[in-house]
Amino acid sequence: MIGLISNEMMKIVNRKLTWIILFLLIAITAGSFVMNKLTEEPVSDWRAEQSELIERYQGQLEIDELSPQMYADTENKLQIANYRLEKDIAPVSENPWSALLRFSGLIEMVIIFAIVIAADVVSREYTSGTIKLLLIRPHSRAKILFSKYISVAVFALCMLAIVFVTGYGVSAMFYGFGNLGTKDLFLNAGGEVTEMNVFLQTVKMYGLSFLPILSYVTLSFAISTILRNSALAVGISLFIMIVGNSIIEATSRISWLKYLPFANSDISLYIFHLPARPEMTLSFSLTVLAVYIAVFAGLSWMVFKKRDTA
Amino acid sequence: MNQQPIVQFKHTTKIIGRKTIVNDLNFDVLAGEVFGFLGPNGAGKTTTIRMMVGLIKISRGDILINGHSIASQFEQAIRHVGGIVENPDLYKYLTGYQNLKHYARMDSGISKKRINEIVEHVGLKESIHNKVSSYSLGMRQRLGIAQALLHRPSLLILDEPTNGLDPAGIRKLRNNLKELAHQEGVAVFVSSHLLSEMQLMCDKIAVLQKGKLVSIENVQAFISKDSISRVYLEVEASQTELTKMLIADLNKTAIAGNGPNELWIQMNKDEVPELNKLLLDNGIRVLSIHVQERTLEDKFLEMMGEEK
Ligand SMILES: Nc1ncnc2c1ncn2[C@@H]1O[C@H](COP(=O)(O)OP(=O)(O)O)[C@@H](O)[C@H]1O
Ligand SMILES: [Mg+2]
Repeated sequence: MIGLISNEMMKIVNRKLTWIILFLLIAITAGSFVMNKLTEEPVSDWRAEQSELIERYQGQLEIDELSPQMYADTENKLQIANYRLEKDIAPVSENPWSALLRFSGLIEMVIIFAIVIAADVVSREYTSGTIKLLLIRPHSRAKILFSKYISVAVFALCMLAIVFVTGYGVSAMFYGFGNLGTKDLFLNAGGEVTEMNVFLQTVKMYGLSFLPILSYVTLSFAISTILRNSALAVGISLFIMIVGNSIIEATSRISWLKYLPFANSDISLYIFHLPARPEMTLSFSLTVLAVYIAVFAGLSWMVFKKRDTA
Repeated sequence: MNQQPIVQFKHTTKIIGRKTIVNDLNFDVLAGEVFGFLGPNGAGKTTTIRMMVGLIKISRGDILINGHSIASQFEQAIRHVGGIVENPDLYKYLTGYQNLKHYARMDSGISKKRINEIVEHVGLKESIHNKVSSYSLGMRQRLGIAQALLHRPSLLILDEPTNGLDPAGIRKLRNNLKELAHQEGVAVFVSSHLLSEMQLMCDKIAVLQKGKLVSIENVQAFISKDSISRVYLEVEASQTELTKMLIADLNKTAIAGNGPNELWIQMNKDEVPELNKLLLDNGIRVLSIHVQERTLEDKFLEMMGEEK
């Protein structure tokens, strides 16, 4: 099994596409953090700034067109700003962990790149004809498919780690290495303002995001295994991802949508206390994702095991 | 020589949709022989090979390899098999060496030394660290053979292996396959639609047509059976009638050829000295005797013709 996995990793690592993706991943991550630094404005008096923010938030809340998601987000921020002034807790000074938390969008980039890699890993063996020599070895098809799946998953995990490390490295150049003990105000699952460790929140967000990444990887992998077409796998997966983002909003109105993967695939919603529906919890989302992963993986396996390999 | 059966076809049949592509094959391939699987394009050779290596399911019947069913004991059966199915499709974006390492990892106990040995054997030492995308078809064919032999299989399956090889390469392949079979006791199963090559390469030839086995024989029998050769005779014009009569005594028929004093007889080559003696003893002035051996190709075409 180790041999099979190292084979698959060798095939991923020796492709040009992989290196283009890694380059983009690092460039975009570093670029985002640099841009953020460049547009930053220095704060002289934090109390005055918070009062200003509170006024702005209150103004926003009076506008009717605000989407439910935006509304909840503004409300949360208002609540935290009020709490700050009340308890006289200054915002934490810029540090790499807080910056990483703000860039949860980078995780979506990892998902996109992981979809592209996953789409190729099985269908490419078919289009290049190499599937024949791969399958006439003393290994069951299940093992061969599984080794491919594991390899893509490991690669996706590496991409996530690269984003994390790159983001941390670039921020550290601007803000110093940060302090593992830094605390900041967050809303807990009950919606109360609480002081939490920023580093742990960051690790939680990036760490748990592996599950949504894995669910898209599994989807793309399944489509490419079943249809033997990587372009379709990328297309369908990206389409679902984009449509899925708009479904998060609809989920607040239509209850059963919460059982679809979409409203469950953004972990940052739980870090910032923005569940699509009040009854949805982090563990609910993780469970739903795990079920989808199992279903997609099972489908790929059933098709791959039975198929005549022409 | 060790002649136990390595492959046993048992009523092997493949049906796709309503079409019977391979129809009830029953034969054995023995250790130590080069077995030719001959048939025109579309006969079902590749389909048969795909079933042998478990790439596609067998619709009816079974195939045993070293006694293990490829359908129900895949891993035990395939362990003894090395091969190329259709084209030598390898990973083009990897080097030749990386390709071999890849397949070596999929088997237990293949050392670096073994890889290097096989690279030397197929003559790819110079280019083994280049990407396969830069290889010619002949080089890919040789790399394909290298991956097939890495784990010292007891059955080597090659689907149209001479495609893309130059005449020298074909000769080398022929010798290698014979050596593998005759010296190391490997059962070598080679498919081809090129008869002239099979004739030189194989010990036994099975002919497949439209999915059915139409003949299976040792190559000698295949070539020489049924007075395969034509013997052309030139005698004095005045003696042709007498010659015909003498030949009729041998239970053979002489047929008039192109020239006025030319005759031809269908017979075995090894009967020619007798014929010659008979004619001389009876005072026939033989101007020339010339044997036209029929190739396997002629015989093959004839066989295919009969089937129509
Ligand atoms: N998957 C398939 N579906 C339908 N027909 C097929 C399939 N694979 C092969 N055939 C048909 O089976 C016949 C035998 O093909 P093949 O085994 O490739 O022949 P050969 O290798 O002897 O040239 C051909 O007529 C081909 O069209
Ligand atoms: Mg063929």
